[in-house]
Amino acid sequence: MAGNVPLQHGTAQAAHSLGTTEPPVVRWVLTGLALLYLVIMLFIPLIYVFFKAFEEGIALYLAAISEPDALAAIWLTLLVVAISVPLNTLFGIAAAWAIAKFDFKGKNLLITLIDLPFAVSPVIAGLIFVLLFGAPGILGPWLEAKDIKIIFAVPGIVLATIFVTLPFVARELIPLMQSQGTAEEEAALTLGANGWKTFWLITLPNIKWGLLYGVILTSARAVGEFGAVSVVSGHIRGLTNTMPLHVEILYNEYQFGASFAVASLMSLMAVITLVIKNLAEWKVQQQVKEAGS
Amino acid sequence: MSIDIINVTKHFGSFTALNNVNLTIPTGELVALLGPSGSGKTTLLRIIAGLEKTDQGTILFDGKDTTARDAQERQVGFVFQHYALFRHMNVFENIAFGLKVRPRKLRPSKQEIHDKVHQLLELVKLEGLANRYPSQLSGGQRQRVALARALAVEPRVLLLDEPFGALDAKVRKELRRWLRRLHDELHITSVFVTHDQEEALDVADRIVILNEGRIEQLGSPEEVYERPQTPFVYNFLGNVNLFHGRIHQGKVRIGSIEVDVPQYAHTLDTEAISYVRPHDFEIEREARGNELIPAHILFIRAVGPVVHLELKREDTGELVEAELSKERYRELALKTGETVYVKPKDLKIFIPEDYVI
Repeated sequence: MAGNVPLQHGTAQAAHSLGTTEPPVVRWVLTGLALLYLVIMLFIPLIYVFFKAFEEGIALYLAAISEPDALAAIWLTLLVVAISVPLNTLFGIAAAWAIAKFDFKGKNLLITLIDLPFAVSPVIAGLIFVLLFGAPGILGPWLEAKDIKIIFAVPGIVLATIFVTLPFVARELIPLMQSQGTAEEEAALTLGANGWKTFWLITLPNIKWGLLYGVILTSARAVGEFGAVSVVSGHIRGLTNTMPLHVEILYNEYQFGASFAVASLMSLMAVITLVIKNLAEWKVQQQVKEAGS
Repeated sequence: MSIDIINVTKHFGSFTALNNVNLTIPTGELVALLGPSGSGKTTLLRIIAGLEKTDQGTILFDGKDTTARDAQERQVGFVFQHYALFRHMNVFENIAFGLKVRPRKLRPSKQEIHDKVHQLLELVKLEGLANRYPSQLSGGQRQRVALARALAVEPRVLLLDEPFGALDAKVRKELRRWLRRLHDELHITSVFVTHDQEEALDVADRIVILNEGRIEQLGSPEEVYERPQTPFVYNFLGNVNLFHGRIHQGKVRIGSIEVDVPQYAHTLDTEAISYVRPHDFEIEREARGNELIPAHILFIRAVGPVVHLELKREDTGELVEAELSKERYRELALKTGETVYVKPKDLKIFIPEDYVI
């Protein structure tokens, strides 16, 4: 997902004002190189996706994204996002809170564990769940006896997505909360606020933009996750296919138009995510500016 | 409200922050906890506030055991070193916070909160800044908002952690005078932590000097400054010159001179450390028997009403700091490099076996 493209207004302005020490030629060449790279690596592929999607006409496009299997894939993707994002948000806040505001044994271990999904390849993440819950797995026979389906079913896809997107919120909040320290919370406590009120009135407002950013990254990844989901899904059309898997199936069947149509829908989601993300950042900067004037 | 701290001990890992501290703070007093960093002063303040738990010992508020109570139940006003203002709230909301979070039954009406906040804004001289955000205020203004916020809940005790530490020298002086006046108006029991001895001497009714988790001395500013009980206090409060010498039958021998110390009449040939404040030296041009130490002047700083001299003793080579009035300085017409004779007028002696520095 294109979550880290440097499009923030503020950064660009800061770079401009600091860049006055270099001669104009150097600045133009460097900026030009960076832009050229972005155009080749990012804009052309993105535009090409939309171009290919509409190449065979708008009617085919609409048919491709409204056929039952496509709708099922969209629906399943949204369901996975709706489950995994709130859970990882809660976990992320709790973990960041514990790490940033308290000292306890095993803190470094917890930080390392939170980073684990970043270090492990998504395919391996998927395999972990197959080995755990699949038919030959440790819990497989027991689950089969109880007639609970996890692998090659929706719960497996949700679990794999949660695993892969677990670090985003926590990773975003830990440095933020650490830099803010505990003094404001302590002040609220001495003023008679209980723990719950302190969290709602002090902690949450202080982290809300960072939290939003983390949630956006989590959502973007949850929509786009391919590797881990591919392993646990079983690719059952209309049942366990998420959007990225559906795109792959269509592509493998040489239905390029339909494949790019679904892909364009995902790209659109990514663009919208990016816009929200930039709005969030712009909002934070506005606040800082207002406060500074 | 009075505060009793009884046998309080606090460890952080293997570090002992407070070691069996006992202290009583009477109602209405302004007390300074003074000490170097790591002396346990901030820990003691946080324990009074309920922000830290004691390992051992008891805290009494007005004679009642408060040790097990949480910070939110203690009704203390705490002013943090870096103010800890709520950055997403304006000045009004910051000050009103303590009233707004009260349970519904105890919460004042909107109008009452409004009146109370404006009354406090007037008290801290920040009328008209109610809608500003903390980041739009200067350091001194933030400090006063923090104070108003702490006072809004009508605390039984006001606790201030290095309240002027982050301010520049001029604002600091103004604010501490203002705090003193405010305390004289409100008569609320107040404890403040500082590492700045001048601040403590200037503001407090009583000073508690802490070192390595223990109370070294407790007393009025005059008492602790004029009559330090331990070498640490002598060193910590104001400039001081240290001399090593030997005591024998009521006389202490320091380098080439001998001084009478009648309180040690029965001490035989014992090592002693003596302290002399820079302003407790007499300076002469002529030698007089063995009462005076010959020294040559290394440096003269004659700015202001007091002249500072840096001297090097000719008998032991030790450096001595001395102060004298401008008149005396002109009378003697001192110049750098000249040899003069100095005599300690007031000398405080400690025998090192009793005290470890």
